[in-house]
Amino acid sequence: MTRRQGLHILVLSGLIFSMGCALLTEKAIGPGSPDDLSLCYVIFPAGSWESVHKIEATIRGGASSTLLGVTRGDPTERGLHSLLLTPEGFILFEAELRDGKIRTLKAVAPFDSPAFAIGLMEDVILLFLCPQGKPASWGKRGDGTRICLWEGPDSSRTEIKGSMERGWRILRQDDQGDVTREVSLNGPFVHGLASHLELRAFKPAPYKLRMTLVQAAP
Amino acid sequence: MKRILFFLAVIFPILLCAATGHSQDWTSIQEAFRKIKSVRAEFLQKRHLQILKDPLLSEGRFFFDASGSLRWEYLKPLRSVMLQKGDAIQLYHFSEGKWKPEMIQAVEARRMVLAEIHQWFQGRFAESKVFSHIYSSGSPPRVVLTPKEGINKFISRIEILLSAKPGVIDRVEIEEPGNSRTSIEFRNVEINPSFPSEIFEKP
Repeated sequence: MTRRQGLHILVLSGLIFSMGCALLTEKAIGPGSPDDLSLCYVIFPAGSWESVHKIEATIRGGASSTLLGVTRGDPTERGLHSLLLTPEGFILFEAELRDGKIRTLKAVAPFDSPAFAIGLMEDVILLFLCPQGKPASWGKRGDGTRICLWEGPDSSRTEIKGSMERGWRILRQDDQGDVTREVSLNGPFVHGLASHLELRAFKPAPYKLRMTLVQAAP
Repeated sequence: MKRILFFLAVIFPILLCAATGHSQDWTSIQEAFRKIKSVRAEFLQKRHLQILKDPLLSEGRFFFDASGSLRWEYLKPLRSVMLQKGDAIQLYHFSEGKWKPEMIQAVEARRMVLAEIHQWFQGRFAESKVFSHIYSSGSPPRVVLTPKEGINKFISRIEILLSAKPGVIDRVEIEEPGNSRTSIEFRNVEINPSFPSEIFEKP
């Protein structure tokens, strides 16, 4: 084994060890007080809303695109209606989530595959709708960081962590324990919507969405 | 019979005058369009979507050269530019302090739109392969474009509202099926300015 290979293994081991520690820390969070539970939902709008975001999408290799994302949401019905537009205002994609079902209303190439529609709407759900049900655990760290953890019926996990001062992070793990999405949210919050969002997708295909809130209304 | 003759005697000359006036107006407008070699203007785009209470506002500017070049640039809310010089079309967006090539070029769709814009700014409405046109004098005078088969899935109607200054377009209204529409208002329009050719080549 060369010295360089040894160094790589050491760094890799350190990363795996630190990830393992992070997960153990989250598992150790016990049920928090009922008062803290409301903070698990603070990063999502409470009532109906509509928004326009500037989106910069970057895929592997560095190719990027800027688009406008328009979304209207109804958290009580878990309903969403989303559009992707070119800067000129041409609609590339339009879909809605209603009664738990995703329906594509308009899609032009290269946005016309069913896999794209499901993937995009799952991202929109992750960004704007609170995970379903009550968190399995929640709590508060000594530094004021709130942590809430949801476990899905399919063994997926969603963790929301942060504070209004330092910003928030959403982490989604699949049933294999692999992180599939990581979202950072930063204020100011307008009508319950974060002004700055960054979504990193790792699986099945890596990409990054950087979103800036342009318009928001209740 | 007398009534009919009276009707013809009074109404026919009025109709004839109106028709002649219309023709003269349209002729003078086309003549003014023919003299346009270049245009520089700013624009405000209002995108009305059924799911939004307020329209989505975008601001930008454009440079047009009748020889076949166009720069259509958005400044807000996102900065992007579409450059056309002859057959070549390039798209860029501005991010992290620099211009980056746009991943979704959709060149063919944009080529069709740009061809239409070129025809509008030169008053060559009859040359459109995808729209038929009707000129309507009035206040303001306007050209109504009706899509032919195929394109009507995306656009229901376009109205080009003309300025009091002949050959200048004030506003374009684009209606889509499903009650969505786009309005583009032009401001600070300069006719026949000169500008360097590189503005059509570099973002």
